[in-house]
Amino acid sequence: MPFPGVAAVEFDRVTKTYPGGVTAIRDVSLRIAPEEFVFVVGATGTGKSTLMKMIYREVLPTSGRVLVDGRDVTRMPARQVPFLRRRVGIVFQDFKLLPRKTAHENVAFALEVTGVPSREVTRRVMEVLEVVGLAARAHALPGQMSAGEQQRISIARALVHRPPLLLADEPTGNLDPDTSWEIMQLLSQINLRATTVVVTTHDKMIVDVLRRRVIALDGGAVVRDEARGRYGG
Amino acid sequence: MTRPVRASPRGVRYFLSEGAQAFRRNGLMSLAAVTVTVVTLVALGAALVVAGALDYVAHRLESQVQAVVYVKDGLPDAALTELHAQLESLPGVTGVTYVSKGEALNRLRKAIGSRAQFQDLLARNPLPASFVVEADHPDRLDAIAAAARRLPGVETASYGEDTVGRLLALTRVVRLSGAVVGGALALVALVIIASTIRLTVFARRAEIEVMRLVGATAWFIRWPFVVEGAITGACGAVLAFAAVAGLYVIVAHGARDSLPFLPLPAPEEVVLGLFWKLLTWGVVIGVVGSLLAVRRYLRV
Repeated sequence: MPFPGVAAVEFDRVTKTYPGGVTAIRDVSLRIAPEEFVFVVGATGTGKSTLMKMIYREVLPTSGRVLVDGRDVTRMPARQVPFLRRRVGIVFQDFKLLPRKTAHENVAFALEVTGVPSREVTRRVMEVLEVVGLAARAHALPGQMSAGEQQRISIARALVHRPPLLLADEPTGNLDPDTSWEIMQLLSQINLRATTVVVTTHDKMIVDVLRRRVIALDGGAVVRDEARGRYGG
Repeated sequence: MTRPVRASPRGVRYFLSEGAQAFRRNGLMSLAAVTVTVVTLVALGAALVVAGALDYVAHRLESQVQAVVYVKDGLPDAALTELHAQLESLPGVTGVTYVSKGEALNRLRKAIGSRAQFQDLLARNPLPASFVVEADHPDRLDAIAAAARRLPGVETASYGEDTVGRLLALTRVVRLSGAVVGGALALVALVIIASTIRLTVFARRAEIEVMRLVGATAWFIRWPFVVEGAITGACGAVLAFAAVAGLYVIVAHGARDSLPFLPLPAPEEVVLGLFWKLLTWGVVIGVVGSLLAVRRYLRV
């Protein structure tokens, strides 16, 4: 899928070997265009999570370069990493919501700890809660919400910095099929609002129905990269 | 937004309230951390005060402009008068006072107090008669004492030079041992404070993880822990200060009554400097301990 200009995400001959000798990613090169929607598929343990973690620099590659928005994050000084992460929204399988904060507070937290002025916080939080369709549940605690609602809140938190790139690592791994479908539709809508979305999944049905770009990993290497792909090729 | 919320995660108030809350929540561990800080700072403070007092005494002695010339026993009056004149004519001497054997004994009695019964103990007065020689400058005393020793009828002459030397040497020893003991204890305090704060880090690991992921800076994440460490150190410092300063006030007052010839520095001169020194050290130990505790969790 060649395209002109700067890639939203680019991997250039990236290999990651963890201390202990496990090679999670083997010589991966790929480019993801701005505003693209990409599925990264593969069985558990094929390096999907490691791939994602290298984009937000939770993990550094053993060799090769990872570029986000044209910037090599592998050479980025540690003190700039927080500012990279404000431009990359991250969603997890286990939501990572703080249990003693309400939905509103969980989302506001992401703005507050990065020094956004308080008069702006409430407005922006309500804005993203609208986007994920949970404005009415703003004062519910995570324990009072369904798994699907909790995942929507975590998506709202990922979006509240208005990042150009959204990473979702197995976002439907803990959800039933109907809820999974709703979350995928939400991610598609976010993609339509000019956000690059990268989703790892092993949900065959969703990938096969949506027919988006599919990058398949096996043993840490890219074995397939199709523009309108299916889960099983 | 009708629920009562804690200080929102922004700015100094948030760091202070989070830090104070963690200090209280860690209960016994905080108490242990404060206790070990107190022990450390008491050792440090005691060394500081003792060394300070010795230094003070040494310098007071050094700045004395008196030499004492002891006279051989049984010197006839004519020789005494002659000696008096000779001493007065030495360069730098501004005054010479004769202290007879009987007066020397009286002075010693006064200094020690009325409790001792010399008459019962001593058949005769062992104290020599002496001349107290005043000089215009402490630097002159060495030459004056040397010249006086060569005069006929003089047993010896001194101006406390050995005492000053010994006191200054003792001051160095006290300072050094204070630094060694204080330093070793400070290491123990560091480890305990770091372990205590690691409990808070552990209790808040989910929050820390989220903060890292949404792009909070490392210092933003560290501040509440630094505050907790500083609170621990400051509590330790205040308690240690109370102990050391209280003890010094008692000792200084006691000394004023029973050892009036010992010139100790006044408590109010010692106490203020001591407070700031202990507070600084306590806070430094606490902050370093807290940074040790969070170091591992903030590595990218």
